[in-house]
Amino acid sequence: MALLYGLLWRLLLLLVHVNTALVSWLRVRLRSWKGRLWERAVAALLLPVALAGFPDQHKKLNHNPDATANPVTGNRDDGRRARWLSDGKALEKLPVHVGLLVAEEEPSYSDVANLVVWCMAVGISYVSVYDNHGIFRKNNSRLLEEILRQQNLLGVDGSKYSIEFLSNGSDKHNVVSCRPTVKVLSPEDGKQSIVQAAQQICRSVENKERSSKDISVSMLDVLLRAPCRPTETSPMTTCWTLCRDTLPASRDLDNDKSSEWTSPETV
Amino acid sequence: MSWIKEGDLNLLEKISANVLKAGPMPKHVAFIMDGNRRFARKKNMERQEGHMQGFNKLAETLRWCKHLNIPEVTVYAFSIENFKRTKEEVDGLMELAKQKFERLLEERDNLEKHGVCIRVLGDLNMLPLDLQELIAKAVVTTRAHNKCFLNVCFAYTSRYEITNAVREMAWGVEQGLIKASDVSESLLSECLYSNNSPNPDLLIRTSGEVRLSDFLLWQTSHSCLVFQSVLWPEYSFWNLCEAILQYQLNHKSIQKARELHQEHQALQQLEADRACVAEHLQHHGNGKPADAQRRQEALLHYTACREDRVQDFLEALKHKRNSFFSDLCSKPVLA
Repeated sequence: MALLYGLLWRLLLLLVHVNTALVSWLRVRLRSWKGRLWERAVAALLLPVALAGFPDQHKKLNHNPDATANPVTGNRDDGRRARWLSDGKALEKLPVHVGLLVAEEEPSYSDVANLVVWCMAVGISYVSVYDNHGIFRKNNSRLLEEILRQQNLLGVDGSKYSIEFLSNGSDKHNVVSCRPTVKVLSPEDGKQSIVQAAQQICRSVENKERSSKDISVSMLDVLLRAPCRPTETSPMTTCWTLCRDTLPASRDLDNDKSSEWTSPETV
Repeated sequence: MSWIKEGDLNLLEKISANVLKAGPMPKHVAFIMDGNRRFARKKNMERQEGHMQGFNKLAETLRWCKHLNIPEVTVYAFSIENFKRTKEEVDGLMELAKQKFERLLEERDNLEKHGVCIRVLGDLNMLPLDLQELIAKAVVTTRAHNKCFLNVCFAYTSRYEITNAVREMAWGVEQGLIKASDVSESLLSECLYSNNSPNPDLLIRTSGEVRLSDFLLWQTSHSCLVFQSVLWPEYSFWNLCEAILQYQLNHKSIQKARELHQEHQALQQLEADRACVAEHLQHHGNGKPADAQRRQEALLHYTACREDRVQDFLEALKHKRNSFFSDLCSKPVLA
């Protein structure tokens, strides 16, 4: 009987694998077939939405010259940048911090660099890149080169970024599109960094500098958020800010969203 | 309604369970039981009723797990963040919890028959005192049972749990039981509320939300995460089977990742021990570099001492935690 169930189980797994393969094959085929039909259907469906739905987008583009610190010139790059940023703002919610977990055995630097640049273009301030073997950490100069290369290709010039206040009058809608920061993480930045913080705390307790009762969630939080520091394995700091201006980012955004812990959510 | 639902699976369910059991089965499953409020809205019920249905579903799920030979289940009942909800809802949930734990104590014979051990994980001092006493009674009464384990996370968030573990280690250092250099990933794991359980193999979240909500972040670093769109009160045996199938499909690669991590941990511990020994030899040596044999002997000796220290500390911690519950039990029950 056990043998029969064993066989049935293997058959079940086989069916699931076949199903997954079929679905991904179909998806690829449909994408090319869907191409023209899909585009027309989408255009037909979205036209009324486009006419009625995103008036804010148009308004903001028109208001830009008044609101921004840098006046929008007739420059093509600035126009594209403004469009990307307003695309981002047209979304109901835009993440402040995006994390990329790359699980491939041999990650593609150009694909990751593309993702990072697209995030920055749309207005996402913080991007973290992680892979399970620490490959990006070890080769972070190569990743940085790739990002800068993609930036140039897209005409997204890092040196032109500065703090822009896209305001439509009320304080609530101030969007600080500040300098994008890319952080490269490896497994050492996970549990190991918490253990190191714990060791630091215990050492200070050993030296009678503090008591165990003083330890709180916020104390650990502060220790873990300490500014990017060079590690022994990678002397070059692996946290870049892709802008040559040195304007400080808003602390409010930091406290709210961009956290190295997951943000607590109600269950 | 009862914590324990009796009854067998029907024929089709039995066959499917047997097929699944032919493959690797998770030994510890964690549930984020999300969707009670949405279910209540959908069925035009009161929220409280939605939570009641959620509890019934929990009892049913435990029955399925028993038939699938899954000995340990952890559930996220109440997050510290949930205290931010309206007073009405929080009070309602506390009242529900009180009723359920009272019911649990009434069923203690049944629990003994099935060998169910109940543990409650969280910052329990945030809860009303009468609820704490009930919880303590439930935990102490079922402590010796060892056939299956139910861990209820109440007033829990992962960050608070990790912070508490760090605080306990600092307490150990203050008491002179351990040194700061003994702090390691495995020691921190032993200081978590969940130290009596192995890490979950499978984490299931219902209601379609794809986030972790500060639940078992440390323990699920090498677990299979499954997100299902069904609302918790509508969870079915087939949903559970689907999740287990996902676990079975990813079993090999997760095992590999776990083994790699354990090897890496062992290596790190060895290097840390070597560094401590080297420092020790430098301070207490006579200026000459020690030979390889002396270094090796010193290393073995140091490791043995460290392990003894850590054992004594963990014993003291266990005693402290047991006393917390026993003290609550010996308090007179509020009329």
